[in-house]
Amino acid sequence: MVELACQHCDYEWDYQGENEYYATCPRCRYKVRIPEDKVSRVGHKKLSLEIKKKTLTEKRPAKLRGIAAIVNKLVQDAQYDKGMLIQILLKLQRSFGWLPKEMLIEISKQLEIPLSQVYQVATFYKAFSLAPRGRHLIRVCMGTSCKVRGSGTILERVQNRLSVDKDGTTLDGKFSLETVNCVGCCALGPVMTVDDDYHGNLKLPDVERVLSKYQ
Amino acid sequence: MKNLTLRIDDKDIPANEGMTILEAAKNAKIEIPTLCHNDELEPYGACRICSVEIERKGRTQLVASCCYPVEEGLKVKTRSHKIDKIRKTIIELAAVSAGIDVTGRMRELASEYNADLSRFRSNVKTEPTKCILCGLCVRRCIEATWDTAIGFIGRGVTRKIATFPEKVSVCTNCNHCYSVCPTGRISSIGADPKFPEVDDILAGRE
Amino acid sequence: MQKVRRLSSLRDLEEFRQGIKKNKDPRQRIVAVSVSTCCVALGALKVVETFKTELEKQGLKGKVQLKNTGCSGFCEQSPAVTIYPEEIYYFKVKPEDVPEIVTKTIKEKTIIEKLLYKDLATGKRSRKLQDIPSYKHQLRLLTKNSGKIDPRSIEDYISADGYSALEKTLFEMKPDQVVEEIKKANLRGRGGGGFPTWIKWETTRNAKDEPKYVIVNCDEGDPGAFMDRSLVEDNPHSVLEGLIIGAYAIGAHQGYVYIREEYPIAAENISVAIKQAEDFGLLGDNIMGSGFNFRVKVHRGAGAFVSGESSALMTAIEGKIGEPRPKYVHTAVKGLWGKPSCLNNVKTWATIPLIVLKGAEWFKSVGTEGSSGTAIFSLVGKVNSTGLVEVPMGTTLGDLIFNIGGGIKGGKRFKAVQTGGPSGGFIPEKYLDLPVDFDELSKVGSMMGSGGMVVMDEDTCMVDAARYFVDFLHDESCGKCIPCREGLQVLSNTIKDICEGKGKDEDMLGIQDIVTTMEEASLCALGKTAANPVLTSLKYFKDEWDDHIRNKRCTAKACRALIKYYIDPQKCQACMLCLKECPVTAIEGGKDQVHSIEQEKCTKCGACYEACKFDAIRKLSAEPVPPPPPKGMKPIRKRKNK
Repeated sequence: MVELACQHCDYEWDYQGENEYYATCPRCRYKVRIPEDKVSRVGHKKLSLEIKKKTLTEKRPAKLRGIAAIVNKLVQDAQYDKGMLIQILLKLQRSFGWLPKEMLIEISKQLEIPLSQVYQVATFYKAFSLAPRGRHLIRVCMGTSCKVRGSGTILERVQNRLSVDKDGTTLDGKFSLETVNCVGCCALGPVMTVDDDYHGNLKLPDVERVLSKYQ
Repeated sequence: MKNLTLRIDDKDIPANEGMTILEAAKNAKIEIPTLCHNDELEPYGACRICSVEIERKGRTQLVASCCYPVEEGLKVKTRSHKIDKIRKTIIELAAVSAGIDVTGRMRELASEYNADLSRFRSNVKTEPTKCILCGLCVRRCIEATWDTAIGFIGRGVTRKIATFPEKVSVCTNCNHCYSVCPTGRISSIGADPKFPEVDDILAGRE
Repeated sequence: MQKVRRLSSLRDLEEFRQGIKKNKDPRQRIVAVSVSTCCVALGALKVVETFKTELEKQGLKGKVQLKNTGCSGFCEQSPAVTIYPEEIYYFKVKPEDVPEIVTKTIKEKTIIEKLLYKDLATGKRSRKLQDIPSYKHQLRLLTKNSGKIDPRSIEDYISADGYSALEKTLFEMKPDQVVEEIKKANLRGRGGGGFPTWIKWETTRNAKDEPKYVIVNCDEGDPGAFMDRSLVEDNPHSVLEGLIIGAYAIGAHQGYVYIREEYPIAAENISVAIKQAEDFGLLGDNIMGSGFNFRVKVHRGAGAFVSGESSALMTAIEGKIGEPRPKYVHTAVKGLWGKPSCLNNVKTWATIPLIVLKGAEWFKSVGTEGSSGTAIFSLVGKVNSTGLVEVPMGTTLGDLIFNIGGGIKGGKRFKAVQTGGPSGGFIPEKYLDLPVDFDELSKVGSMMGSGGMVVMDEDTCMVDAARYFVDFLHDESCGKCIPCREGLQVLSNTIKDICEGKGKDEDMLGIQDIVTTMEEASLCALGKTAANPVLTSLKYFKDEWDDHIRNKRCTAKACRALIKYYIDPQKCQACMLCLKECPVTAIEGGKDQVHSIEQEKCTKCGACYEACKFDAIRKLSAEPVPPPPPKGMKPIRKRKNK
C-alpha cells in the first residue's frame, strides 16, 4: 500500500493496486506518478507475493477502506438515519467534488436504501454532479434581477473566454461552468460566484479580471 | 368504517370512509378513465386524466378522483364539456414526448376523446419515446422486488426511466412491467433491459 | 469570546439582560461593518481586514471595538460602515478609505463628506439615516435590528430585548391564548399564499396525532427575492424565537429549518444561533425552567425550486425527491412522515415575537384592513436604489418604485413591475397607484408572493420576460404530472419561436387550451400558476406580442433574432473600441476610418453597443439597415464641448 497525493487536485489516498509506476487519481482521473522511493525495489511479482503472504498470516480486522470508509464516517455521524440521505450526499459532493457510481452503491448498501432511489435523488437535485468537475466551479446567476441587468451577456463572455459550454468543464480541467437560479444577491446583479467567492455588479470587462484571479 | 353517501352524476352512491372517488365510482359501475392507476398499487396522481369536477362549499374545482377522499354529500361530475376538453388536451400533451405511435390504453382513450396526437408534437424536435412517465412499471417493480432494476432519474422534461445494470440480476422476469404499461412502450417479454442503462443516459449517449 | 451561561429560570434571563445593558458603555467607540452576502460580494471582508490592521497601526486596538453586522438594506451602497456612538453612516467604503476614516472620524471626530450617502436625484449628502429619502418612507419593524447587531452574538440580541416575547409566552400565556392573539392580529402567511396563520396553527394543534413538527421555509426559490436570506443572516435569533413560541402554541417538540443550498452564510449563521441558544438553555430540554422541550435541526436544500412548495419541502426533509403531492389532506394534518406539521415562511415566524410583545391591536393598526403589518420587499431591477425595503401594507407601487427606489436607472421610462416570482405577473404603469396588499395585487392578475419586486424599463421586452419565466419553470418542474411537464415544454418552444421571428397567429389558440388545462388539472401550485406571467404579459402588452408575431419586430429592441446593430457614420469617432470588443471581428474600420458592422458575421451580442462612448451605435428592428459608408470615409470629429 502506498500513500499518494495527486498533483492536479491535491487529493490524498492509499493506493492499493499493483502498478509500479502510475496510479489513477480516484477524484479527477489524472495519472499520478508513484514516487520512486515509495515503490519497493523488489520486483513486481515478488512484491505481490510478499503482500499475499502478509495478508494470509495477519488477521486483519474488517476495516473499510477508500470510498467505503469515507461514506461510512458520514453515515455513522448521521446515525444511519435514512432521512439524512440528501445531507450526506451534499457533504460528499462538497468534499469529494463529485459523486462516482461506487459512492452511490456504497450509500445504498450502508443506509439500506434501494439503489434506484439513491440515483433518483442524485439526479433530481442540481447540486449533485455525477461526473468529475473542474478545480474551480463558476456559477453565473440567472435570476430575474440579474437577467434584467444583463447576466446573459456575462455568461456568453465566460463561455467565449474559456471555450466551455454551460454545464461543462474546460478541457484542461480548471473550470466548470454552471448557471444557478438566484444566489440571493439580487441587488447587485449580474452576480457570478467562483467556488466560495461572490463577485457582484459585473460589467463585461470585469469577467477577465475575475477569471485571471483563479489561473 | 363509516358509511356515507355522495352524489356522482346526479346519482346517490354509497361509499365507505377512506375510499377515493374513483373507487366509489368503480363500485357503482361509473366509468372514469385512468392511465397511471392500477388497483393493486397506491394511487399516484400523475396523469390527471381521471380529473372530475367537484362542488364544495359553493366552489367548483377539478380534482384527481384517484386521490380525493370521499366526503358526505360531495357533488361530483365526471363528464362535461369542460372536463372532456381538458382530458383531450391532456392526451395531446402526453403525446408531445411519447409520440404518435402509442398503442394500448392510451390509443383507446385518444380515439374516445377525439384527441389529435400530433397537435403539439410539431413544436418539439426530440425523438418520441412512447413513454408517458406514468410510473406504473417502476411502482409495480418496487412491489415485486424493493431493490428495483429500473427507476426514475432526472427532473422535469429530462425525467426518464433507466435500468441499473448492477441490479438487473434482481429482475426475475416476472414481466409485470410489460403487463401494466398503458402505451405499449414495454413491448417485449424477456430479460433484455427494457430501458436504456443509466450510465448511457447520463453521458448523453441515449 | 462569549461566556456561556445556562439560563434556567425567568429571573436568570432578566438578570443576564440587565447585566449586559449595564455593562454597555454608551461612549464606547464601535466601528460596525456590514458583512452579509451582498456586502461580501462587493469587498466588505477586505474592509474589515484593513480596519483591523489600521486600528492596530494607529494604536487604537482595544480602545475601539470592531464589529461585524448584518445589512441595513442599502445594497447598492455597500460596503457600509457605521461609527458609534455618533451614528455616522459611511457608504461605498473601499479599503483605501480606511486609514482616512480612522484618522479623521475616529481620532479627530470629523466627518468625511465624500463617504456620506448621496441621493442620486438631488445630489444631497445625508448625515443621518433618517434624512435619507428612501429610508424615511420605510417602517422597519422586522428589519429594525439588522445592521445594528452582530448576528453571531446572542448577547447583542438579548440586550436588544430579544427573547422577551418568549419569556412572556412561556410564563404568562397558555398555548391557546397564543393562537388567539395571532388570530386577533390577522397575521397572514408571508410565504406568498397569504393564508391566515392562525388557521394553520389551530389545525395542526387540533390534529390527533403525535409527534407534531414545526418547519421554517427558507427555500426562497423566487429569483429576485432575498428577504428571507437577509433575515436569517442578519437576525437569526428573531426567527428562532418565533419558532419556539409557535412550537409552544402548537404542541410541537421538534423543529426544522430548511435553507436552500445557495445560501451558505445564512445556514452558518442560524446553525451558530441554534448552538448558542442551546448553550444558554433557550433550546433543548426544560427551556428556562418552564418545562417545555424543543429542539431544532437545520436541513440544506440541494438546488430545486420545487422543493420550496410545502409538501415537496417535507419530502425533501425525509430524504426523498421534492415531489409535491395533492393537498386534499392538508399537511397540517398529515405532513412530515405522515404527522401533523406546520410550515411557515421565515418572515411569518419573525413577526410572531413582535405580535406577542406589542399585542394584536398594535399589529392591526399597521397596514390595511385585509392585510395587517408590514411587508418586506426586495426592490431590484432597473431602479436607482436597489435593496431591501420594509413598508406598511397599503403603500402604493408608485411610492415604492419612485420615492423609495429613487426612480428608474438612467432616467429611462418605467414599463412594468413583476411581483410574486414565477407565480406572479407583470403590473403595468396604469396601476402604479395600486396599494400593495394581498388582495389588491391578486385583483390585477398578479400576486404578492414572497416579496420579490423586479422593476423593468423601456429596454425590457415583455415577450422575452414572459419567456424567461416559462423557461425557468420548465427547468424547475418536477416532471410528475403531464399538464405541467409537457405544457411548459410546448409553451417554451412556442414563445422561443415567437422571439425568433417564427411566430404564427395560430400558435396563440393552442396556448389558450394548454393554459386552461395547466391551471385546472395540474397537481401542485407550480403548474397551476405557471401561466400567470404569460397571461399578464398578453393582457397588458398585447401590442408587443402582435408586433413580434405579425411584424417580426421587437419594440424594446431586446430579442436578438429581430434586431440589427448599425454604426451611424455621422457620429462614429473611429476610436476602435468596439472593434476590439467584438468577439467575432465583425467590425471593419481603422484609426481614421469610420467603422461599420458586417451584418452576416454579427452575433448581436451587444458588446460594441456597451463599449461605444459616443452613442454612435443604434439598434434597428424590422427597419431596413442603411448601406455601409463608403470605404475610407473619415470621421466627423466632434468639438470638445458636445
